[in-house]
Amino acid sequence: MTTPVMNERPSLDQVVPGEGLAPQKPRAPKPSLTPYLLLLPALLAMLLFVYGPALLSLIGSFFIIPLSKGPWKFAGLDNYESVLGDPLIQQAAWNTLVYSVATIIPSMVLGLLLALLMERVGRMGWLAKTALILPMTANMVAMAVVFKWIFALQGGLANQTLAIVGLAPFNWLEEAETSLPTVILVGLWRATSLCTLLFMAGLTTIPGSIHEATAVEGIRGFAKLRTIILPMLKPTVVFVSVLSITGAAQVFEIVHVMTDGGPLGSSEVAMTAAQRVGFEYFRVGEASAMSFTLIAILLAIGIIGRGRSPKEES
Amino acid sequence: MIRLYKLLGLVLGAVAVILALFPFYWMLRTAVAPADGNALTGLSLIPAELDLSNFARAWDRANLGSAMLNGITVTLGILLLQLLTCIPAAYALARFRFRGAGVLLGLVLACLLIPSQATLIPTFVGLNLLGLGDTKIGLVLPFVTSAIGIFMLRQQMLSIPDAIMEAARTDGLGPLRTLISVVVPMSAPSIAAFSMLSIFTHWNDYLWPLLVARSPEIMTPPLTLAIFQNADTGFDYPALSAAAAIVTAPVIILFLLAQRHFVRGMAGPEVAG
Repeated sequence: MTTPVMNERPSLDQVVPGEGLAPQKPRAPKPSLTPYLLLLPALLAMLLFVYGPALLSLIGSFFIIPLSKGPWKFAGLDNYESVLGDPLIQQAAWNTLVYSVATIIPSMVLGLLLALLMERVGRMGWLAKTALILPMTANMVAMAVVFKWIFALQGGLANQTLAIVGLAPFNWLEEAETSLPTVILVGLWRATSLCTLLFMAGLTTIPGSIHEATAVEGIRGFAKLRTIILPMLKPTVVFVSVLSITGAAQVFEIVHVMTDGGPLGSSEVAMTAAQRVGFEYFRVGEASAMSFTLIAILLAIGIIGRGRSPKEES
Repeated sequence: MIRLYKLLGLVLGAVAVILALFPFYWMLRTAVAPADGNALTGLSLIPAELDLSNFARAWDRANLGSAMLNGITVTLGILLLQLLTCIPAAYALARFRFRGAGVLLGLVLACLLIPSQATLIPTFVGLNLLGLGDTKIGLVLPFVTSAIGIFMLRQQMLSIPDAIMEAARTDGLGPLRTLISVVVPMSAPSIAAFSMLSIFTHWNDYLWPLLVARSPEIMTPPLTLAIFQNADTGFDYPALSAAAAIVTAPVIILFLLAQRHFVRGMAGPEVAG
């Protein structure tokens, strides 16, 4: 039995977060069942509610599944073919991509900017911080209802404001050209709030000594951001990217409440399409094939992202 | 030059704060306006006349009484189960060295990458086969554990100094006692932050209740709100806004009460990188 070395760990001030300091775990004297028992409930739940269903869904995507009880019919890649060939689903895929690009990039840039700004605000700062985080806690169905009213054709705030400058009212949610951009605005409102919160939290992990050191060295402004802050925030950036990408790829409430994908599929996204195909048309095999096409895309993005940042946690 | 940047920053911050708050303000402003007449559509910051009966009308017609109760039951049920599964799992992954630890951690993290649409249909069919479709248990069961919860708690538990764990061991505390009397109290910030995240997520969840809940008695607030919105009352904007405000209020109040813990605790996942 070995005794763990206790004093080698440097004090927290000297540790650079993100450097992957391996914590010294106490060594168990003998192999024991305890950790497995502790993990059992969580792992069982994951097998039952994540991995099991995902596997079933993957298998199901190669079959034609009858609605009532009956044998599944093997269909090979037919489901994938009809999904990829369906104009409605192509539209949904394209819209999801547009939605993702248009919300993720601006919300991350804005979120970082706002988080940096919030570091400098004085005593009243907590009020501003609270205001900026509020959108991410809100109920999206409720907010979608409010935004639907703001963009309503008759009496909506957006059109009333247009009227003041003498412009004609616009049917924001029921015109093919504006339905998706309007939904994107609402998504951006929400996503910026989440990014601001996560970047604010990330910035609090940068020790004060770093700020003092850079001040002494005379490193300031953009130079400090580029050479010191951003590299130290890398774990946060990775975390925010993962949450942003999976969040945008699965956007549902905003679209379902505000436009239900319409008009004519102009604001249909992956999730509303999957819900329609699976639960309104009951084409279960096809809905599964859709999910796995999406997973393949997300995984590809994940692998590319990982290749770019090899230093991340194992 | 520096002054200019400061001014730009101030303007950006002020605009962002106004834009973040405006929809909430507009929701409340509409909710207190009379349903007919010019006060509703006017642009004045406060409507000329106030009408608080919108809240009562919304409460009755959107069936919010039972929905709010269901929302509380389901959200707290999920939170309790998640804490019971996530805390021990995080403890095992943070403080034990055992065969397969890396693989099991990977298994937990990979859950974050599996989008819910991949699991929705089989889970839905499975619950129905067990006779749990359209029940409150069916609303809770798929969420008994949370990969992000395990991840957040593990990162916090990694930062507990070894000396403290060592002291617990020399005091003769077994793993379970150590967990309850040392690890849990020392992980309180992350537990608080995760609890809030879980409450926000599941109070606000819409898709799963939309699929599972068929009878009005088990519907949760977002669902009844969406149904109220789709009904022919769709143009009763004051009542709709009042309903939206009622549904939004509990989590906002919780957030305002505990926001310090939330922001600090959210830093957890990043600390150990």
